[in-house]
Amino acid sequence: MSAETEILDVREDIRSGREPFSKIMAAAARLRPDKNLLLLAPFEPKPLFAVLAKQGFRHSAREIGNGDWEVIFSRNGKIERLAENGNGSVPAKNSAARVPDSALIEVDARGLEPPQPMVKILETLNDLPDGATICARTDRRPMHLYAQLESRGFTGRTEEQNDGSFITHICRS
Amino acid sequence: MEVSLPISAGVKTGNHNNGRKPATISPGGLASAAANSITLPLSFILTGLLALFAGVIWLLAQPEILTAYHYNANAVAITHLFALGWLCSIVMGAMYQLVPVALETKLFSERLAKIQFIFHAVGFIGMVLAFRGWNMKWVGLFGSIFAAGVCLFIYNVSRTLLRIPKWNTVAISVGSAISWILLTVTAGLFIVAAKTGHANFMFRFNPIGAMHAHAHLGALGFFTMLIVGVSYKLIPMFTLSEIQNPKRALTSVILLDGGIAGAFICILFQSTLKPLFACIVVVALTVYGAEMLAILRARKRRALDWGVTYFLTAISLLAPLSILALVLSWPKLPLNPFTGQLENAYGFIAFVGFISFAVIGMLYKIIPFLVWFGTYSKHIGRAQVPALAEMYSEKLQMTGYWIFIAALAVTVSGILFSNAIAARTGCVLFAASLSTLAFNAAEILSHWFRPQLKAMPVIVRKS
Repeated sequence: MSAETEILDVREDIRSGREPFSKIMAAAARLRPDKNLLLLAPFEPKPLFAVLAKQGFRHSAREIGNGDWEVIFSRNGKIERLAENGNGSVPAKNSAARVPDSALIEVDARGLEPPQPMVKILETLNDLPDGATICARTDRRPMHLYAQLESRGFTGRTEEQNDGSFITHICRS
Repeated sequence: MEVSLPISAGVKTGNHNNGRKPATISPGGLASAAANSITLPLSFILTGLLALFAGVIWLLAQPEILTAYHYNANAVAITHLFALGWLCSIVMGAMYQLVPVALETKLFSERLAKIQFIFHAVGFIGMVLAFRGWNMKWVGLFGSIFAAGVCLFIYNVSRTLLRIPKWNTVAISVGSAISWILLTVTAGLFIVAAKTGHANFMFRFNPIGAMHAHAHLGALGFFTMLIVGVSYKLIPMFTLSEIQNPKRALTSVILLDGGIAGAFICILFQSTLKPLFACIVVVALTVYGAEMLAILRARKRRALDWGVTYFLTAISLLAPLSILALVLSWPKLPLNPFTGQLENAYGFIAFVGFISFAVIGMLYKIIPFLVWFGTYSKHIGRAQVPALAEMYSEKLQMTGYWIFIAALAVTVSGILFSNAIAARTGCVLFAASLSTLAFNAAEILSHWFRPQLKAMPVIVRKS
């Protein structure tokens, strides 16, 4: 029996210059423990492996032609190799792993010209699972963000850091 | 396959239209919804653009305004159309948007700003028409209406400044600029009062000296001070850099304040100390230039976009303007037709080459952002929204830049050599350059009426 698999295709985002990191992290954070995440990317997203490994994900990757890659991420202890399972469906291994209520998603929106920091944070916010919070780092105090948070049922608390950057903690109101 | 569609068509944009909502940022950093309405700054900006286009059409019809000595009704009228209608409208509208964001607070009162807009529009239109007919009583009346608007503006910005969590160079420059505009308007009203037989003490001043003192106070004290101060915030933001030497930045603003105060008094009293204060202003601008160069050298974004290029080209014109200022401040300079035209060229490069070009560069940042924010902010994360750069044509923007440079060169030549044909050709080129701005502004504004949203290419599920 196959586990339910969420497929996230970020190839078009990357080709059109959009930053897909927050979208991937949000999809990973909201993934139910009995599901896998199948990521389609125009290159092998190696940096992502280590980031998601810290959140308990294991992965299996393979090239699917035209330079594109598909990677399957799972919180379960075992996943089948994609090479052995071409359709991307991976057997389910139900485990007790759950998205912890205190899940913290970090969004680094530094080094971006306005309004990209706000876009990056709000894109993450839209996929935020219940109970999770966002910790967003920006170069400037995100003055335009607060009204957007409020209208979406969130609150933000910003603190200036010693290095001159700002960290905004975002959670549901 | 399941595609997420925008679900926020009915979602309000939040409470940012509520001018009464307190906008405190507590010491811990908890900020309330602090963004302002965008219709307010856009109203000022659209008014400014209309005044600009009206001014260029006027110059096309009467280019001899530029080639004759500037102490005449049409020259004074068109100068006020550009200074108040175009530049003040844009700068005030932009300040209502940028000052709260740059200084991390909220505008004291949007309601007062809306009332000011009415005083502002009625005041400057009436003044320009009254100047054109050289009816000083009407100039005094509409000037007083405009001044009432300026007082509301100063009160609003001052109360906003009192809210800021910490003072910095940008805040000091904004505080300085609103002080200088108060003095500029006061000086203007006294000049008019003298011409209508009131304020007899004004007769001790040479009328041209008083006019030049008033013009320098506005150009240097309000516009230049704001360009200097605000660029310390905006240029690092747009080039991904930071201020390299805060003390140097502060020094430039303080020196500029000192130079403006001294220059105003010296020009008013026709003092021989004029060159000294001209030098202080030039030193202040040199210090500013040094800090801007350092900021640019440290930038992380190597390629400069066209908006920033407009702005940086404009501020580089401070170099020839400084030389002209030093020459024209010389007490023994004879007043003959050529030096008269030199003064015209100085004023034209200052208002059009430096201030207007810098303002156009920043408009290419401000208008797309305002329209984008008002139209798309509620859709972020729920639908694909266009990037700012996708809202207008970069090619047109680049074309407008080069035509503007050509227009400036041709018009200044026409002014210097009193050649009306060259001046008219230059004005045609200005009109061509500004038509690229008009086209791009219309394209940007079209997003306001017809948002260009696409469905998110997001998550496909399968079992």
